[in-house]
Amino acid sequence: MDKSTIVCRCEEINIDEIESAIKMGAHTFDDIKRITRCGMGPCQAKICTTLVQRIISEYTDKPLSDIGPSRMRMPLKLTRIGVLAGNKESSSVISVFSESASKEGETKND
Amino acid sequence: MTNQYDVVVIGSGVIGSSIAYHLSESKQKEILVIDKGFPLSGTSGSTQAWVWVHNKTPSWYGELSMYSAELYPFLERKIGDVEYKRTGGIAPFFNESDREKALRLAEKQAEVGIDIEVLNREQVLEKEPALSPTIAGATYSKIDGNVNPFRLVELYIKAAKRNGAEFSFYNPVIDIDKDNGNFTITTKEGVFYAKQLILAGGPWTKGLGELLGIDIPVKQVRGQIIVTEPLAPLIKHTIGGMRQADNGEILIGYSKEEVGYDRRTTLDVIQDTAKMAVDYLPDLARANIVRCFSGIRVMPHDGFPILGEIPEIDNAFIAVMHSGITLSPLVGTLMTELLTEGETSIDLKRLRFNRFNECNV
Repeated sequence: MDKSTIVCRCEEINIDEIESAIKMGAHTFDDIKRITRCGMGPCQAKICTTLVQRIISEYTDKPLSDIGPSRMRMPLKLTRIGVLAGNKESSSVISVFSESASKEGETKND
Repeated sequence: MTNQYDVVVIGSGVIGSSIAYHLSESKQKEILVIDKGFPLSGTSGSTQAWVWVHNKTPSWYGELSMYSAELYPFLERKIGDVEYKRTGGIAPFFNESDREKALRLAEKQAEVGIDIEVLNREQVLEKEPALSPTIAGATYSKIDGNVNPFRLVELYIKAAKRNGAEFSFYNPVIDIDKDNGNFTITTKEGVFYAKQLILAGGPWTKGLGELLGIDIPVKQVRGQIIVTEPLAPLIKHTIGGMRQADNGEILIGYSKEEVGYDRRTTLDVIQDTAKMAVDYLPDLARANIVRCFSGIRVMPHDGFPILGEIPEIDNAFIAVMHSGITLSPLVGTLMTELLTEGETSIDLKRLRFNRFNECNV
């Protein structure tokens, strides 16, 4: 793979940026996340987790099984603020019409 | 890496790394910064990072915050783009009865040169149209802003390293001894010696104090924060409670709980935070939350920074405070003056550690 290959699609972070963070002393996925924003985007590291673990493993010569994932954060999946705020007018269930009429991206594929 | 240093700083958060950077500018001292983890894994990486001045009270504390905010543009020219933005700050209130308090605040802060306008509903909505029409007014000041804490700490460290300072991460301090005027600092990775020692461990400074046999009068406070998906520009100002980052995310939160070092997020506080978001900005009800996080902050018992010499231990210093992001450029500057010249350009009397002892007498 090329060093410029994108690993984190949400934040457009490539292999080279991740390796630079490791060179700076980053040991874990979370360290890399804080330096590069890798895994901080809307998918919450669902796409890049194993890719980043593999880079850390190769770079540090540790078995893949020893490399942990990033810390999972509530709410795990995009959730509307209105839902959590307890506003009766909004809810996690939205109509098919408004769903197709809006461009939600992530949420409707689940 | 040698073992002997002029200065050892424990803690590489925004305060420890700022002190290391400012000290390293003169290139006179051999400096080592030790951290039990990796930078940004503690308080400095879990903050909204306001550079907030206007309603810090009493006014002398506001004044101190203002001096620090004034240093940010210069800091940025020296260490690089930390995404500092002087957005102006808005602190909304919902009851007309609060206007009286707002006016008193403006009057007090004006004495030290902090300009505050007390706005009515129309004036607030003109500045920030997305705010709820149910607000009664707000205090506003041009001096407030925010910064990217990740860029800030990373660039402090990079600049310090360029100036020759050394850093040791993932290296918890196990023991601190003092003999023959030298500190012996035993860590997981080995033993280091220092002529001067600075404790800058934020909420974890309490444990460092125990190694030195002193009780540091601080407690831990948890703050929980919601991060939205990237949104089109919605708010221009730093609002007491939320701010929008360069990439469009809005960070929301203003909670304080005393739960020790527990860093979990909890549904009840997140729900209240979501409620606050919608009360302030009704449009946010339709915004998606990407994640929530919480941070442990440090709170000195009287709320003000503890800065300067540690009583009865020569050459030991402390720099611990809430609002480390706001104060870091000033604290780095003042600690450098104190360590290299023995005195500071701003009187630190109110911030000294020994004020706590005096209270007990």
